[in-house]
Amino acid sequence: MFSKLAVKNVGRSFRDYGVYFLTVAFGVCLFYVFNALETQTVLQYLSNHQRQNIVESIKGLIGVLSVFVWVVLAFLILYASGFLVRRRSRELGTYLLLGMERRQVAGLLLAETAVTALIALAAGLALGVVLSQALSVFTAGLFAVPQTTFQFSVSVPALVRTALAFVGIFLLVMVYHALSLFRKRLIDLLRANRSNQELRARGLGASVALFLGGCALLGVAYAMLLVRGMLRVDPLFWVMIGLGSLGTLLFFRGLSGFLLRLCQGRKKLYYKGLNLFILRQFNASINTTYRSMTVICLMLLLAIGITATSVGLNNTVERMTAEAQPWSVELTVWPEEEGQAMDLPAALEEGGFAPDQWCSPWAAFPLCRDSQGEFGIRAADYAALESAWGTERAQAFLMRQGAEILPDGGAYTAVLWHFLADYAGEPQGAEEAFLAAVSGLTDTGGYSYSTKQATWMDLMGTKVLVLFIGLYLGVVFLVASAAVLALQQLSQAADSAGRYQILSRLGVSEKARGRSVDVQVFLAFFLPLALALIHAVVGMTAANEVIAQVGHVDVGASGAVTALLLVVVYGGYFLATCWGSRRMLRASA
Amino acid sequence: MDQILEVKGLCRNYGRGSITHAVDHVDFSVEKGEFVGIMGPSGSGKTTLLNCIATIDQPTSGSIRVEGKEITGLKPKALSRFRRERLGFVFQDCNLLDTLTAFENIALALTIRGTPAGQVEGLVKETAGLLEIADCLNKYPYQMSGGQQQRTAAARAIVTRPALVLADEPTGALDSKAARLLLDRFEALNTQLAATILMVTHDAFTASYCHRILFLRDGAVFTQLERGSLSRRDFFRRIMDVVAALGGDQSDVL
Repeated sequence: MFSKLAVKNVGRSFRDYGVYFLTVAFGVCLFYVFNALETQTVLQYLSNHQRQNIVESIKGLIGVLSVFVWVVLAFLILYASGFLVRRRSRELGTYLLLGMERRQVAGLLLAETAVTALIALAAGLALGVVLSQALSVFTAGLFAVPQTTFQFSVSVPALVRTALAFVGIFLLVMVYHALSLFRKRLIDLLRANRSNQELRARGLGASVALFLGGCALLGVAYAMLLVRGMLRVDPLFWVMIGLGSLGTLLFFRGLSGFLLRLCQGRKKLYYKGLNLFILRQFNASINTTYRSMTVICLMLLLAIGITATSVGLNNTVERMTAEAQPWSVELTVWPEEEGQAMDLPAALEEGGFAPDQWCSPWAAFPLCRDSQGEFGIRAADYAALESAWGTERAQAFLMRQGAEILPDGGAYTAVLWHFLADYAGEPQGAEEAFLAAVSGLTDTGGYSYSTKQATWMDLMGTKVLVLFIGLYLGVVFLVASAAVLALQQLSQAADSAGRYQILSRLGVSEKARGRSVDVQVFLAFFLPLALALIHAVVGMTAANEVIAQVGHVDVGASGAVTALLLVVVYGGYFLATCWGSRRMLRASA
Repeated sequence: MDQILEVKGLCRNYGRGSITHAVDHVDFSVEKGEFVGIMGPSGSGKTTLLNCIATIDQPTSGSIRVEGKEITGLKPKALSRFRRERLGFVFQDCNLLDTLTAFENIALALTIRGTPAGQVEGLVKETAGLLEIADCLNKYPYQMSGGQQQRTAAARAIVTRPALVLADEPTGALDSKAARLLLDRFEALNTQLAATILMVTHDAFTASYCHRILFLRDGAVFTQLERGSLSRRDFFRRIMDVVAALGGDQSDVL
């Protein structure tokens, strides 16, 4: 009989608590995607090309971060399920009143949690497998990795790890709620539905002062950030962070009162339709939610900042490859003795890499020293270089080597020998042939080489690392803050059900009531986002100066990806909350 | 005299199969400026009847006319409009919005009707004076006594000058002194503003303020009592007699 009750309750929970399922499913999905990185095309490509160590370190870092993410998700799910249980405490109290034992009620709760959790877990894993493929295609496109054939792959170890991690969370949640049920008194359970929101009349004047104070603190923090820049971590840096956080807190604490005071001054606006109700409602709720709004704003800031900078940096690094390594291959050989003549093309050809077959154009020449000790390239060799790649690249080469052009006909000692070439035709085969030939070089005092492909591969490893970690943390923070906000709004909607019932009786149409709900949810979602965006813009302006030294952040592209993520995750939660709140209030009216 | 409310053959059934007749063929009417009470034991259908008139509940059959206009079967939008323009409510609980001050609670009834902002303040203050709550207009509901809250609710119901004020057990949660004060104000509203009031109660003392009382039993009108020129004390006795008669049939159950 109890199992029947449990299954029935789950069916109802499913309809009522969409946000909880959304959160668990999103969490599972994220956790799987980033624990199944070995299925990503980009990483497969890297490990197929002698970059196993980079892949391992990426996976290691993500693994460490996953522990942190696990803790965040555990708290999030605990909070979400707490909302679920609190909403139903009256029902649970009724079971107790009817004479069910606490053990049985706890068992009922456990059974329900187990069933809901398993369904959400399954949904999340399915979503994760699909999303993992999508991310794979997206990143492969981003890095221009040649995709052979599309392969649908599932990482079994990641599936197992994710399942274990979340079963762990669910066990924690179940134990927590069972324990708290044993501690609760029956009367508290039965009375839980009464709105026990503390409604203290706070002076609006104080709110206005707090709001203005918050704005001033924010202004000071912004000024410090812009003047001092981002990367000087000293005591003043922490003062700046503290001022910014405190400013944000005061901003939200005073905001509603400030708005209320502002509108009360304009009777035409205040005494129009439901305006005064909406403002008062917002004001009443902000007294209990300004702390979480602050935390949410700062979390959003982190999410926006991390996502934007990681995607931006990624694009920046992209451009650096071409500058760092202009030639397909660049080989430098030191002779055993200074002045010894070398024939690099012949040596390479002997090793199986014939320059004429694989390359076009190519050049081999020594860098020499003349009798006065002047270091440079012979004019004839320079002319060849110039005719092969143009003046600009020839000049750049000289600059990099610190070499002069030495007139023909002097007595020069060859200090080191260079071989520069661009591959002709298929680069993969050329690269392999070159590597084989180079490792067979003998009779040298030492050599070093760099190839475009190797440089690109190394840079790509770094890019992949930055991008994945940025996306992982960014999306986790985003999901966490959106979920907390959504749950808060829903519980507020539940608390205001009575108020909307009164409005309905007073003759406020369903449409107008719905609009009032939407405005409140919109304010709750939009205000932290707006302030976080302002923070982010100021922060990025400061950060750009730092990054400008390494390269330039592509604001357009990083902004677009961040905006897309924001719209999908944050917008999804916003719509779900509007929908859920409206449903809750419609049912009560 | 104008007829404000006319109820004809009103039925409200619950359930399928074994049907409960919560309201069973009720006919009555209320004239403009009347103060009418509906009495009856619990389960007699008083609240269901009031809810049907308040358009919160849909009757199964029968007609309800307010100022000659049929209100059963109105569309939700028209219902909301009707409620905010023609009706005023006072309920036992769930009355005032706890986030708003008394002033704003009363003003809200005006703003949702689209009353010009300039007139709001004057209308609220005038009505508040009539109900003797002018000194607690800036308080929140939780800062006021139960009686003050109920009078604020009454002010909100009357401030829009509705055709009909519906009150469901308005004194139910009040002590006798606060109840008397509220009823005095109801009487004042009735005489000074010519407000038409329909009040449901199970309390004989509360009912003795009415001009006319409808007694319900098992969903049907059992009898009617007119106050006429009787003093309130005498009217109270008459009411008690009827209540005793109403309960008399059931004395064998006890």
